[in-house]
Amino acid sequence: MSYLATDNLAIAYDNHVVVDGMSLQITEGTITTIIGPNGCGKSTLLRALARILAPKQGTVLLQGQDIHAMSTTAVARNMGLLSQQAESPDRITVSELVARGRYPHQKFLQPLTKKDLDAVDKALDLADMTSLRDAAVDELSGGQRQRAWIAMLLAQETPLMMLDEPTTYLDVAHEIEVMQLVRRLNREEGRTIVMVLHDINQAASVSDRIIAMRDGRIVADGSPDDVVTIEVLSTLYGVHCDVYQHDHHMPRGRFCMPRSNSNCGACLFAPSRPGFAVSELQTGYGKRVISQDLSLTIPGGLVTAIIGPNACGKSTLLKTIGRLQKRAAGQILLDNTEVSKESHRKLARKLAMLGQGALIPDRLTVEDLVTAGRYPRQSVWQRCSLEDERMVEWALEKCRLLELRDIPVESLSGGQRQRAWFAMSIVQDTPTLLLDEPTTFLDISAQIDLLDIVWQLNRDHGKTIVMVLHDLNLAARYADYIIAMKDGRIAAQGLPTEVIVPEVMQAVYGIESSILTDQATGMPLMIPLRGM
Amino acid sequence: MTSFRQLSETRTFRTSWFSHRINLKVMMLIALAIAILILLMLWAITLGAVDLSIREVWNATWGDGDRKTLLVVRTLRWPRIATAVVIGMALAISGMLFQSIARNPLVSPDIIGINSGATVVAVAWLVIVRNTSQLPLAAFLGAILTAAIIYLLSWRNGASPDRMILVGIGVASMTQAVTALILVRFPLEQIRPAVVWTMGSIYGSTWRDVVITSLVVLVSLPFAILLMQPLRAMSLGDNVTRSLGIPLEMTRLGVILIGCALAAVSVAFAGPIGFVALMVPHMARMIAGPQSGGVLVFSGILGGIILLLSDTLALHFLPVVLPVGVVTGAIGAPYFLFLLYRSNSRM
Repeated sequence: MSYLATDNLAIAYDNHVVVDGMSLQITEGTITTIIGPNGCGKSTLLRALARILAPKQGTVLLQGQDIHAMSTTAVARNMGLLSQQAESPDRITVSELVARGRYPHQKFLQPLTKKDLDAVDKALDLADMTSLRDAAVDELSGGQRQRAWIAMLLAQETPLMMLDEPTTYLDVAHEIEVMQLVRRLNREEGRTIVMVLHDINQAASVSDRIIAMRDGRIVADGSPDDVVTIEVLSTLYGVHCDVYQHDHHMPRGRFCMPRSNSNCGACLFAPSRPGFAVSELQTGYGKRVISQDLSLTIPGGLVTAIIGPNACGKSTLLKTIGRLQKRAAGQILLDNTEVSKESHRKLARKLAMLGQGALIPDRLTVEDLVTAGRYPRQSVWQRCSLEDERMVEWALEKCRLLELRDIPVESLSGGQRQRAWFAMSIVQDTPTLLLDEPTTFLDISAQIDLLDIVWQLNRDHGKTIVMVLHDLNLAARYADYIIAMKDGRIAAQGLPTEVIVPEVMQAVYGIESSILTDQATGMPLMIPLRGM
Repeated sequence: MTSFRQLSETRTFRTSWFSHRINLKVMMLIALAIAILILLMLWAITLGAVDLSIREVWNATWGDGDRKTLLVVRTLRWPRIATAVVIGMALAISGMLFQSIARNPLVSPDIIGINSGATVVAVAWLVIVRNTSQLPLAAFLGAILTAAIIYLLSWRNGASPDRMILVGIGVASMTQAVTALILVRFPLEQIRPAVVWTMGSIYGSTWRDVVITSLVVLVSLPFAILLMQPLRAMSLGDNVTRSLGIPLEMTRLGVILIGCALAAVSVAFAGPIGFVALMVPHMARMIAGPQSGGVLVFSGILGGIILLLSDTLALHFLPVVLPVGVVTGAIGAPYFLFLLYRSNSRM
């Protein structure tokens, strides 16, 4: 029997149709995952299923009943939603957070009953968070925090759980941790699970059924084996993918890897410039030390990727060498010059940085944002030189933003926004480019597009690229040199073939993996062996 | 939104050593606002006990007319009108600078305590020292001193704008308490001039006041306009600012210095006038678009218009003559609410 169903569901923001006449049934006790490119309407669909958005037409039926005819409490007792990037109040502990999940079951102004407390304990236990119950949520690691949120959803004791991108910002080990929990909840507790994931390979590893969406419609629907195919993925994302089938290397699921449009994969070995030379660096925030006695060289004129688990100090290292963050001690040379000796403006002409978590002021258009990147080249008199104009056009064109140039940045989708920020960093036209997780929020084809631009900037223009990357297989493909960090230290460094090996993966992430060869490039392809 | 984009067409001017992008809409708005301001000033001078025509005012301004008219126009009315305009400009520009630096639309020099710092010194000066001649100087020093205290107290590895707002609100409450204490402790006839001063007024302004305030505004304005360029980039956050090679602390300090000087000079010569510094920058942005050097100038002129209108209303069109500070809110706030309503309904 279908547990949750939609009938000809349509959702629109103003006049922009996001989900277009969708009818689907979700069977009780299954894991269903919705995948699709940026802006395909997958999160919107999930939020409509959870009654957060009102549909423009059609209905959502929970066990045959229209959810909009049910009371809020009744809905909250039957289904729970974990939103993307929920914010936790300051200094709340894990058990307090989890107890909030009991809200739909509590009477007005009543303290937690024995039943509530038992539910909290059970939720903590299921999410494997009992030992951390008194820890403050904002001090947890990314994976732990995500598990705490899932525990809150568990305490709600709903038969149906919905998760919107539960693995964003998590490293590969934490991803596995969360996926294993999802699997356990389904198999052992019999919960029905509907999730949105952007990572196809995760979806393939855990789901019973995958729904592939594009432009508000279903493109494919079926088991991972039916959906993760070359044909479906190329209609879905518009990019050719290689699909690796399960054999003795891969106990479960299918694995896909998109093809690039550039000839990446052929490593350069010799640095063309000195690059960064860091010695005895200490990084951190105030009294909190992240890295100590860090010494490393980042080759100039090559693409270097920094990888490592959440909170290993990779972004901090990038920010410190880019002088966005003060160091506590040590020396940082860029092309043989100490970076602290340069003036702000001179350094800004040498290196550009794409960071995370920037602010977006009201009514700022894409073109304004990209133009702001030209600031280091402007003077009181020269505010808009021909060179500025040429570079802005070039960056807009490269990042496929020409049609969006007059649109306010605030109204762009996450993926488009990330492209606009990337355009702003390349418009600076600096010999060195630092990129902190440039592929966040991007779907696979947009990731490939962006990294292909990075590749061209390096191979055609000789720029030094240093990027923190989340996806190890993209790092293996696009980097000439990989630095793997753990706990503020360098765990391994070298060519992709030297770093992306099972021993290093075990040492850095604590995961079992098998390494195949990327059919497109001949570079290593890491496939985690999920203990499921 | 579309109409806004169409109007805000930019034109680029470029020579071998010079290139600038000019927003035509903003330039037209500035020209329009200046025209309105000049007409408003001439009209305001015609009003009063001695009835004059615009032509008489115009001639008298350039030294043509009988002695009585010359006295009324050049010695009595012009200084007051000019002071109103210049103080309005100073307040609005200062407000926009503070709002840009704090990335917070609810900030203005009066909210972060600069006005109340000036007030406590001025009130003490009037009530305890009982000296009116050096009053502007005392108030100016009070404002500058308070600003310095706020800046130092909020310094911890750099002055964070958020901490400055909180510290400023704390300092404001403290100084207000001291002001209240002085007013309660002294006899009524002694505190009367102080109470009037705290409402904000430009009674009896002289040419000396006009010269000093205009000098401060004229010196600050070019710097403020130049600082709007890095301020635009700074609105993207501290990390982006640093990676664009903008010296964050220096720029911040520069903006605070100019903003404080403008706020201090206006509170010194006109007392604490509320509303203008907080609301006029919003009005300017709602009419002219996102912050830029041009919008800053527009905001200044709009501040002049609003304060002059308020003063004229306070002086001539109300059953009792009120200090201008009481009226700014009364005429500015409804217009502000109207703009807010319109911009909401457009979204």
